[in-house]
Amino acid sequence: MSSSLSERVQQARGGDSNPLGGVTSTYPGPRAEISRDKNLPWWRRILPVIKSHRLTFIVAIGLSFVSLIFQVLVPNMLSHDIDYTLQKHHYSLHGDVIAIVIVGLLAGVTGIVSRRYVYDTAYNVEADLRSLIYEHMTWLSFSFYDRVQSGQLISRANSDIRSVQMYSTFAPLIVVQCFIGIVAFGFMLSINWLLALIAMTVMPLLYFVGIKMRRVMFPISWITQARLAEVATIVDENVNGVRVVKSFAQEEAEIDRLADAAERVAWAYIKDANIRAVWSPWVQNLPQLGLALVLFFGGYMVLHGNLAIGNILAFNAYLLMLQAPFMMLGQLVMMGQRAKASAERIFEILDERPDIVERPGAYDLDHVKGTIDFNHVKFTYANGAEILTDFDAHIAPGETVAIVGRTGSGKSTVARLLTRFYDIAEGSITIDQHDLRDVTLHSLRENVGVVLDEPFLFSVSIRENIAYGRPDATIEEIHAAALAANADEFIVRLPEGYDTIVGERGYTLSGGQRQRIAIARTLLLNPPVLILDDATSAIDVHVESGIYEALRGLLSERTTIVIAHRISTIALASRVLLLDEGRVVASGTHDDLLAKVPLYSQILAQTTATGEVE
Amino acid sequence: MGWGGGWGGGAGGGQAFASSGNTGLPFGGIPSELMDEATKLLATEPEHAPSHVHFTQRPNAKERQRLTLPKLISVYPKWVVSGSLLVIIISLTLQAGPLLTEFAISHGMEHGHHSLTVIGACAFLYLALGLISVYFQRKQVEVTGKLSSRVMHDLRIRVFTHFQRLSLDFFTDEKAGVLMSRMTSDVENLQQLLQDGISQFALQGLTMVVITIVLFIYSPVLAAWTVLLIVPLLFVFSIWFHHASEKGYLLSRDRIALVLADLSESLYGIRVVTANNRQKRNIRNHRHVVGAYRDANLYTGRVNAIYGPSTVMIGILGQGLLLGIGGHMVLEHQLNVAVLIAFFLYLNRFFAPIQLLVQQYNSLQQGRSSIIRLRELLEIPPSVDEVENAVDLPIIEGRITFENVSFGYNPDTLVLHNVNLEIAPGESVAFVGPTGAGKSTMAKLANRFYDPTSGRVLLDGIDIRTVTLRSLRSQLGVVPQEAFLFAGSIRTNLSFGRFGVSNDDIETAIDVVGLRELVDRLPQGLDTPVHERGQTLSAGERQQLALARAFLARPRVLILDEATSSLDLRSETVIERALDTLLEGRSAILIAHRLTTAQRADRIVVIDKGGIVEMGTPQELLAQGGAYAVMYDAWLASGGRDATRAES
Repeated sequence: MSSSLSERVQQARGGDSNPLGGVTSTYPGPRAEISRDKNLPWWRRILPVIKSHRLTFIVAIGLSFVSLIFQVLVPNMLSHDIDYTLQKHHYSLHGDVIAIVIVGLLAGVTGIVSRRYVYDTAYNVEADLRSLIYEHMTWLSFSFYDRVQSGQLISRANSDIRSVQMYSTFAPLIVVQCFIGIVAFGFMLSINWLLALIAMTVMPLLYFVGIKMRRVMFPISWITQARLAEVATIVDENVNGVRVVKSFAQEEAEIDRLADAAERVAWAYIKDANIRAVWSPWVQNLPQLGLALVLFFGGYMVLHGNLAIGNILAFNAYLLMLQAPFMMLGQLVMMGQRAKASAERIFEILDERPDIVERPGAYDLDHVKGTIDFNHVKFTYANGAEILTDFDAHIAPGETVAIVGRTGSGKSTVARLLTRFYDIAEGSITIDQHDLRDVTLHSLRENVGVVLDEPFLFSVSIRENIAYGRPDATIEEIHAAALAANADEFIVRLPEGYDTIVGERGYTLSGGQRQRIAIARTLLLNPPVLILDDATSAIDVHVESGIYEALRGLLSERTTIVIAHRISTIALASRVLLLDEGRVVASGTHDDLLAKVPLYSQILAQTTATGEVE
Repeated sequence: MGWGGGWGGGAGGGQAFASSGNTGLPFGGIPSELMDEATKLLATEPEHAPSHVHFTQRPNAKERQRLTLPKLISVYPKWVVSGSLLVIIISLTLQAGPLLTEFAISHGMEHGHHSLTVIGACAFLYLALGLISVYFQRKQVEVTGKLSSRVMHDLRIRVFTHFQRLSLDFFTDEKAGVLMSRMTSDVENLQQLLQDGISQFALQGLTMVVITIVLFIYSPVLAAWTVLLIVPLLFVFSIWFHHASEKGYLLSRDRIALVLADLSESLYGIRVVTANNRQKRNIRNHRHVVGAYRDANLYTGRVNAIYGPSTVMIGILGQGLLLGIGGHMVLEHQLNVAVLIAFFLYLNRFFAPIQLLVQQYNSLQQGRSSIIRLRELLEIPPSVDEVENAVDLPIIEGRITFENVSFGYNPDTLVLHNVNLEIAPGESVAFVGPTGAGKSTMAKLANRFYDPTSGRVLLDGIDIRTVTLRSLRSQLGVVPQEAFLFAGSIRTNLSFGRFGVSNDDIETAIDVVGLRELVDRLPQGLDTPVHERGQTLSAGERQQLALARAFLARPRVLILDEATSSLDLRSETVIERALDTLLEGRSAILIAHRLTTAQRADRIVVIDKGGIVEMGTPQELLAQGGAYAVMYDAWLASGGRDATRAES
């Protein structure tokens, strides 16, 4: 799939778009993916993404270093000025002041530029990760979505990316700051190597404390992130299921549920603080320890005439320079572990491979006539429930077939298999003798249009919802589709007509209205194979017959599968397949089945066969 | 199930993810190599007492307070005070260092004062102070850790409680992802600030004050110059930063909300996205949304990049100028060199905290932007609210009265015009009519999802606006068309509506709605996990579950809003039969397109174009040959089951 990335990027760039909230950006999208090698440490896996911003990254790090050098020069210059200008009068004070001002300006300018690029890099990496995760999830299969909750995914795509981003903003700054240590050490060495070594003896301790901190911080970071996701999941459910919560007056119970989850987060945070409290003060106070050592041994040297008093002051200044970075070093380790835990959680999504993939050499399905064959299809959902055991059917081009069966008998599954939302376990499905698994997914779904049983609408305008699959459709085409779905009549009565924003999930519309828009959305695609999966369940008979009136003409040119409970819908079909226990138990016209198959009339709850069908 | 553990913890409760024994599976939660460490950690976790938050629709005085950071933390005065004390102590131990150094130099190293004892004592004291500081810093981290986690906990509950108070229109207008981002990323945004920010802010601020005093003691003139040169510049810069960064951070909050909204919608609509081959276009759109967020971040990054290093620069320039001034004074013999040296020593310590302050100021700004957004959210009043002194609705008999009710989701376009209707206790009434006629709206008015624009809705003669929402809704069972399921097992979903539903009740409900076959088929039966987007269940089965859930809640009034639309006819018949028993002694509103359901009702109300067109028993209406009779004929003609005949 890495090869297809470049192609995806290519295609993703062109054309117009209508992003949420109407925001636009020149952001080009990620230029690299994370490494697929699961054995690499987390930062190595992200490295390709960082590398794709290497220019800004190198400039950032390089200039920070330069800026730092300028900053470190200042105490040295001051002490030099005090010694030579003020006490020995070797130089002019004006020159000294000007020199410091110049160094200060240089330090400032390089600092500003470097900091800017640090942020540029970090925020670009963050945007890349966000896009990568979104883009990856877009291509994942439904078996994945059946398994995981949205709250989990959203939390990982948010809290976890954020913690990686915070680290990637923070870490380079601190690391560069820690170069101060090296520079300062160099200066100290030049003054008195022995004292310099003594001053730095404590530093190796840092290493051990750091190792220890990493070990103890990682598990708690993981626990914290996992619990944040639990909170996110509850929030997500409550926002989406608000109607149920309110209907049952369960607000208090839900708040309790959230409070429990939040309590667990709070515990994790406190634990995290307590663990950090043990270790990070040591890191912060290591320079202090160095200062005490310098005072004692330096003092000893002064007494023996091996060191000037001014040198102690210089050592003091250099060790103090370490204090600020060291204070942040403890934080760095903590954030590093949090970022690591988060990165692993992000990788869990990015490592998920789609089950439904195109075979190498998959070709486009073209000029579809619409012969559909199900050959002894067997299918089981991941939870172990066997849905189709031996589904066998032949549908001729242009035929309209109704699939009838009990609730849960697998009717919708047939629709999901024909669009390759899932792959079958055994047998084969072909369209015009092309096995579904041999053709490209895009061309398959272009040719097989499905109106799903739940009419999901996006919170954009009606026009955009209808044109969802063909954003370039003209307004005339949209109107025509809406007319065919009998939606036009209510759309034009809305205050803003086709430009009415339908609200979250389209909940400003009634169930039947949403279904009609969903039908229009699919009709606009004009697919050679059309599946109506219980697409009119909430539409009243009157409107439904209107839709079918319009559809009848449309259906004659295409192969259609209708899944329905209503006889009025079934009446559209020239043939009925009766589905039970995972296979077709009978096939024939409605009247035939009604007369001959008791199960059929049972399912339709039809006790008599007295020609109620038109 | 494999996705239990870390993924499904929401409903799993307790120590779910440590105990789930499926670490090898993807999405199993914690990686196996960390299991031991994590288990050890979790072993130290006490059993949290189950939370009992008292929810009232009307916020109490405390909840009505304006949301500000000081108010949030002032709830924990003990920790704030002890945290501040610790900060003061730490600051003092840190500042004692230079004093000791100076003492050691002047009393142990300078000519005529050579004394290794003094030096040794000073060094030892220095070390000891360092260790003491370690101890106090540890305490301080612990205290601020507690403070921050409690404050965030409070905030989470407060915001979530407000979500629960808000009315349906809010949730329809606002994108789910935006609300999600308020509850997650905005709250989490405060963590950094609360944990380290405030204490560091206080610590460094205090340090600066102490150092300024020390500077004045050494040389009032130089100190005055320092304050004069540095402070106004820093102040001006900080004001600029305050405004620029606030603008940037607020923008960034809004943009991240958009990112999450886009993400959330794409996840929930993934089937439509896939079926319509929209992936590439959506990716393109998402890049714009993510890019816009990035752009906001880049802006704040730039503001930060200017502010931070500029303060460093101001510091260095200040030192240069002070060298000029101080040096001049030395050359003019107005100042001792030693004093100048000491002054510069402290000057370094004056600038170091500025750097840290600048950093904390940044996280303060970031936190403030979240607080502002959260405050705005908390200040949105619910459009459907309880009146002051709302009383509990007593157990009702079930008389529902619509009195001159008019309503429009948008006040300009009324959906219902002046509707009058009375439903007697125990009566079942079917609302029929074309889609969009206002049938569901009537149901939504009855349980106060919305309030009528004019007119009243009464239950047992009591205006429902005068009673508490909880007492009202707990007596009305609404089964909406979209059967939303919570993550959890079938069992937990069924017991959602009423606390302490017995197993027998659940088994009975399963039979009544005709789900027995499904439950038997599923390997884990009633304990099979389900969730909102999962496809374990078909649309019809979800509706059956939703019906069972409502039945188990034992409401006084049952409202079925197209609740059987996805059922096959046989299941529907099963449910209709069940309805006969369920509706006994209960009032009911049945909204259905399948007129067989309507035929079972005591009375039929035909609603069209926002008003009642006709009303009567099924037989009466059929006999009248009005609108209903026409509909019924169409229904029969379309192959609908003839309820009149089936019953006879």
